[in-house]
Amino acid sequence: MSNSIANETINHSKNKEPFSIVRLLTNTYFLNAVSLIAFFLLWDYVARERIFHDSLARPLEVVDQIVRLTQIKYAGTNLWGHIWASTQRIVIGFFLAAIVAVPLGLFMALNKYVNAIVKPLFDLFKPMPPIAWCTIAVLWFGIGETSKVFIIIIGSFVPCLLNAYNGVRLVDPELYDVIRVLGGSRRDEIFHVCFPASFPAVFAGLQISLSVAWTCVLAAELVNSREGMGFLIKRGMDTHKPELVLGGMLLIAAAAWLTSQLVSLLERKLCPWKRTIDNL
Amino acid sequence: MAYKEVEVKQPLMLTILPYVSIIAFFALWELVVQTGFIPDTLLAAPSTVVKTFIVKLHDINPDGATMGTHAWTSIQEAFLGYALSLLIGIPLGLCMGWFKVVEGLCRPIFELIRPIPPIAWIPLTVFWFGIGLTGKVFIIWIAGIVPCVINSWVGVRMTNPTLIQMARTYGASDWQIFTQLCIPSALPMVFGALQLALTYCWTNLVGAELLAADSGLGYLITMGGRVARPDIVVLGMICVGVSGAIIGFVIDQVEKKLLAGIRR
Repeated sequence: MSNSIANETINHSKNKEPFSIVRLLTNTYFLNAVSLIAFFLLWDYVARERIFHDSLARPLEVVDQIVRLTQIKYAGTNLWGHIWASTQRIVIGFFLAAIVAVPLGLFMALNKYVNAIVKPLFDLFKPMPPIAWCTIAVLWFGIGETSKVFIIIIGSFVPCLLNAYNGVRLVDPELYDVIRVLGGSRRDEIFHVCFPASFPAVFAGLQISLSVAWTCVLAAELVNSREGMGFLIKRGMDTHKPELVLGGMLLIAAAAWLTSQLVSLLERKLCPWKRTIDNL
Repeated sequence: MAYKEVEVKQPLMLTILPYVSIIAFFALWELVVQTGFIPDTLLAAPSTVVKTFIVKLHDINPDGATMGTHAWTSIQEAFLGYALSLLIGIPLGLCMGWFKVVEGLCRPIFELIRPIPPIAWIPLTVFWFGIGLTGKVFIIWIAGIVPCVINSWVGVRMTNPTLIQMARTYGASDWQIFTQLCIPSALPMVFGALQLALTYCWTNLVGAELLAADSGLGYLITMGGRVARPDIVVLGMICVGVSGAIIGFVIDQVEKKLLAGIRR
């Protein structure tokens, strides 16, 4: 992140201070607990007092609804079926996009001619929000799986390509100088400097793509679908069941969080040389 | 490190190729539609889209409003939501970066809400606020606040510790360090957030309008789909893209003016 050496020489010794009330009150874990409890109590209070009339469910009702969904079949499949339906779309769309976009981005950064051809087209499509493709995807591919996967591909393509491209361009030029001094060829430059140095940026792009992909799948499912977590939310909206809507929101948040954790795990395995900032 | 500026003469190919590729793209698009390779019920030719645009400037059929009204509605919603998310998100993020207590209190809730895609809030906002302006501003606010908070938080965190130690040595108070050292050094990150938040806002605006609206560019796209007029759909998409690009460009220019003295 920062090039400053100073960031790496932070004093790690612990200072032991005597116990005091102030220190307990400003303890991070204590504050976290306080804020979470306060949040859920407030939510429960607002729901119980019907400030939004019957449009907000109590937290326990939401949990209850999720548990019930695991047991009964809702619109032909139980909870796991719905989760799997969304995840499957994400996995297919995300992988297709990543497989094309990352090499293309790297290639664009390495070759001026490819860049000159692809970049203007890419700049043309870049500012268009992926959700805007929903309608035309339905026109082209009908309401089946293809249109949903198409939207996910469109959505996750842009950040993947952009980050791969910038990752290569922003490689520290001194690294090239080093490998040239050591007698490396253009091939060595690409394989031993360019790719390893740009991997952290590529992975950052994958992370962004993944979160965009979840937004896209949700939008696609909200517009039109028969199964999936977005379908649960949409059905909750149509039948005015706030506990179903909130349940769907929690599920999709959990799924999005889990997949992003998976990608960071992969990142730590594949490029351990990435520098991180403490406490983030 | 003083580098000498070297004029590199670009090959002619490199200067021509971008234009060639753009022109080829539009020509191909026009061609596949005109020759009927892709039926015009699925895709409209660029020339048709331009014609539709000119007609839509004054004609309210088939979706009930002219182009200007749609664009104005969208821009209004986007800017209200965007301004609110900046107003709340940036100070919150800055405080979270510096004050341990604020971070301890806000972070868990923030982490809880962050992974929920903003579009998922649409049903709840429809329940709570109806399909009017408030609901959409709420969704856009949720979408925009996440990058604002994260970037200003990281920005404060990335302040060079040497500078903080130096300020301490010279006897600066915590508050002085925060306002006079951490905030300026976080500014480049904060401006990065402005761009990001805008992209998020714009994306989610379209999402919100696709599902619950009675005017706006997203609504124009939906209605185009519903009456099977691909020219209107493509027109809506292009308008959304172009206006997003214009706003992004303006922010970029402002950033360059304001951050002229700060190394990025």
